[in-house]
Amino acid sequence: MRRRLPEWFVLLLPAFVVVAAVVLIPLLFSLYSSFTPYKLTRPSTLWTWIGERNYERILTDWKFWAAFGRTVLFLTIALNLELLFGLGIALMVNKVTRGQRTLRTVLMFPMMFSPILVGFQFKFIFNDNVGLVNNVLQSLGSDAALPWLVDGNLAMFSILFAEIWMSTSVFAILILAGLFAMPRDPLEAAKVDGCTPWQSFRHITLPFLMPFIYIAMTIRSLDVARAYDIVQIMTGGGPARRTELLWTLMSRTGYVDAKMGLANAMGYVSILLSIAFTIFFFRKLSAARAELGMGG
Amino acid sequence: MTEVTLSNVIKRYGVHQAVHGIDLDIEDGEFVVLVGPSGCGKSTTLRMIAGLEDISGGEVSIGGRVVNDLPPRERNISMVFQNYALYPHMSVRENLGFSLHIAKRPAAEIKKAVDEAAAILGLQELMDRKPAALSGGQRQRVAMGRAIVRHPDVFLFDEPLSNLDAKLRTQMRVEIKKLHQKVGNTIIYVTHDQVEAMTLADRIVLMRDGHIIQVGTPLELFNTPVNTFVATFIGSPPMNLLDGVVTENGNVRLGDGQELPVPTAARAGVHVGQQVRYGFRADNLSPVGHGVAEDGDIAEIDLRIDLSEPLGTETLLFAVLAGTEIQGKMLNPRPVTPGERMTCRLALEKAHIFDAETTNVIRSS
Amino acid sequence: MDRNKTHRNRRRVLKGLHFFGLFLVMSIICIPGLWIILNSFRPTVEIMAKPPVWRPSFTLEHYRAMFGGAGQGGVPVFSYLWNSIVISVTSTLIAVLIGMSGGYAFARYRFKGKSGYFVGLMLFRAVPGVALSLPLFIVFAKVGIIDTHFGLILVYVAMNVPFTIWLTDGFFRQIPKELHEAAEIDGCTRWQAFWKVEFPVARSGVASAAIFAFLTSWNEFALASQLTRSVDSKTMPVGLLDFTAEFTINWGGMCALAVLMILPALILTFIVQKHLIAGLTFGGVKG
Repeated sequence: MRRRLPEWFVLLLPAFVVVAAVVLIPLLFSLYSSFTPYKLTRPSTLWTWIGERNYERILTDWKFWAAFGRTVLFLTIALNLELLFGLGIALMVNKVTRGQRTLRTVLMFPMMFSPILVGFQFKFIFNDNVGLVNNVLQSLGSDAALPWLVDGNLAMFSILFAEIWMSTSVFAILILAGLFAMPRDPLEAAKVDGCTPWQSFRHITLPFLMPFIYIAMTIRSLDVARAYDIVQIMTGGGPARRTELLWTLMSRTGYVDAKMGLANAMGYVSILLSIAFTIFFFRKLSAARAELGMGG
Repeated sequence: MTEVTLSNVIKRYGVHQAVHGIDLDIEDGEFVVLVGPSGCGKSTTLRMIAGLEDISGGEVSIGGRVVNDLPPRERNISMVFQNYALYPHMSVRENLGFSLHIAKRPAAEIKKAVDEAAAILGLQELMDRKPAALSGGQRQRVAMGRAIVRHPDVFLFDEPLSNLDAKLRTQMRVEIKKLHQKVGNTIIYVTHDQVEAMTLADRIVLMRDGHIIQVGTPLELFNTPVNTFVATFIGSPPMNLLDGVVTENGNVRLGDGQELPVPTAARAGVHVGQQVRYGFRADNLSPVGHGVAEDGDIAEIDLRIDLSEPLGTETLLFAVLAGTEIQGKMLNPRPVTPGERMTCRLALEKAHIFDAETTNVIRSS
Repeated sequence: MDRNKTHRNRRRVLKGLHFFGLFLVMSIICIPGLWIILNSFRPTVEIMAKPPVWRPSFTLEHYRAMFGGAGQGGVPVFSYLWNSIVISVTSTLIAVLIGMSGGYAFARYRFKGKSGYFVGLMLFRAVPGVALSLPLFIVFAKVGIIDTHFGLILVYVAMNVPFTIWLTDGFFRQIPKELHEAAEIDGCTRWQAFWKVEFPVARSGVASAAIFAFLTSWNEFALASQLTRSVDSKTMPVGLLDFTAEFTINWGGMCALAVLMILPALILTFIVQKHLIAGLTFGGVKG
């Protein structure tokens, strides 16, 4: 009898095939093209091998490094604040006795918004002329219209605000689920043993929540790049590149300047960045799980 | 006729061997219990009979037909699982009728079979509930009902009572036994609880580390254990075992110098200087006038009672003999004060001698 | 006595802070969305008014213009809506089928390098859409499936499969293996056992995985904006940009389209919200 393929392999095959076809092969192609001076306008350039010159170019380009640094900083600030706010919100909602379901439903609200919609929504709200924020400020008596999306620092703030608005609820919802799943006895034991509320939070609640926090981080890290949508529509990387992130720089290089080879080289840097984030949190997740004996 | 035969059945997981060549003949209509400590291979054996595990070697046949490579659905068996494995999205009625529904039987026939099974197990009131709305005992009954609906050749039970509380367990034990008397099918039943094995089985198969240690009726295993493992596993409390050496005058000298006579049955099998373990059950050691009153060979032992557990009709006595904690039983009990000294009688014809090295029983006949 | 009093006072203050904090958070979450909805019903003159008008009037002007069709210089909303529906629904169905089979494999079979495969698949999900859009744009242009439904469906299937696997793996793991075995003993083939027992039991989980996949496809922008060109395949998130393409932004029209976009997502999510949370945590914690 002919040896048949193992069942698990047959079941996974479609997934492998479609991922390979749509992600892996284009990525291999882009890896190749990142070693060429490929320009969309001149297809023949695809066949010129220039070695690592694209990488050399971006690695010596301060504009790239500025965007790279800004991206890492942006992600660090955003993820940390999202976690902090999410934790705070979850703890507050957990304390509520009546109407908790409603609050939880409201919390899910931002999760359904398309990132592009979030971008648009805040572009509207932070608009210096007709935006809600300036309207309120003016009605309250301030005479100057703040240039939310025109000034570099204010624009960065606005984008961060939009990003945090969109993603905090993932953290809040998952941490809340963790709080629900938490056994009561250890907390009560701690209370009797004389722990202050802060101590019992620090030594009992928080360790129990860690896996949930890492799940949220992992899920979030799978999609870090969706901030691109927000930035693209709110500022397009402007003013004067003050909100330029790795992703907007890449898309401009590729589509506007048509330098595909160069853009693909940047793409690879951004992919490595995403993968680093994901692997980091996956690791943390399985470590936290093992520690709490939740099975692996 | 549906006898089940296992010949040299082996289960391997990679390099680890879980079941080492088991031979077993189960007769039609027999209630056989596989019992042993966890990890002894009893469940694996059952699952190989069911077709849920591949058979690595040997042969399993049901009703004279080799079933090694048949999927479970072609073996005409049914199984009751430890966690019942009721289908949570179906009502009790649908759970019971599922197998017939899959077999595409006519609706009228399914209804009849389901109602019959429900009547046998007293499930009529629960037919439209979902499993989540049932108590543990009710779920257990539905699981059994699901098994009998299709009139299988063989029933397999995989620790079906271990998730119930003590009282329900006793009750369901009786129901299982009644069920067997009513339907009369072959039953293979796995448990780690020796009480279940003793009370239910026509024949007990005691396993350890993937080997069969002893096969026999409950009383055979209780009265004539083949080694110290059987002696301590079957019966509660476990058999008392004392280390000693056979002396020239036909006694066993215990650790503290005290001597006990070698029981008659073992006398021809021992030799002087042999390291042995002297075994007897608590039932056969009683204070004078409180139990062991038979004539015949009796040894008298002076004991200091450390602790007593009154159970009503009898009292369990705890004492130390030659450095080993032993238990005895007092029938028609009277109050016992801790530290009290008592002369106890040991019925020698019920005592056993085991070889210390091989742990096997020494019996002359 | 005094200590009791201070504790009581402190509790009162904390309670006030708690209420205030919740109120603030909920406002921040709700106001932006409500503002969009409100403005989709306000006439353009009022939106642009300086100083701002706080008492809103009501008009259906923007919705009328939106559904009025492309003829009057409007945006072809119906085409976008239709494209979005076709692409999201189809890609969701396919992704769930493929992902479910993969999730089942991870939940029920033991094989070498399992966690490696798992993390590997997840990493593909982590590739930023923009970075992927560059080579995909070239490849799709070569193959000739740029600006087609098929191309975008293919992309979204690949995008959604890994996460669907994550979720369904968690759900199938919740189902005791004995259910499958019991079904097999009751006479099912493995295939029957799956569809008659395991699938119905995991149904709510699969539904939540489907909602996630749908939302991702429905909301995706980075890839869609590059892989679509015309009315033939542009989805709504891309269509939203049509309003900004001109010199003046048509805020009211954009708000109306935004409401149209968020409505299906809202409804779907509310239907399965309980399972959504369960799905995320099961998949992650007990995995």
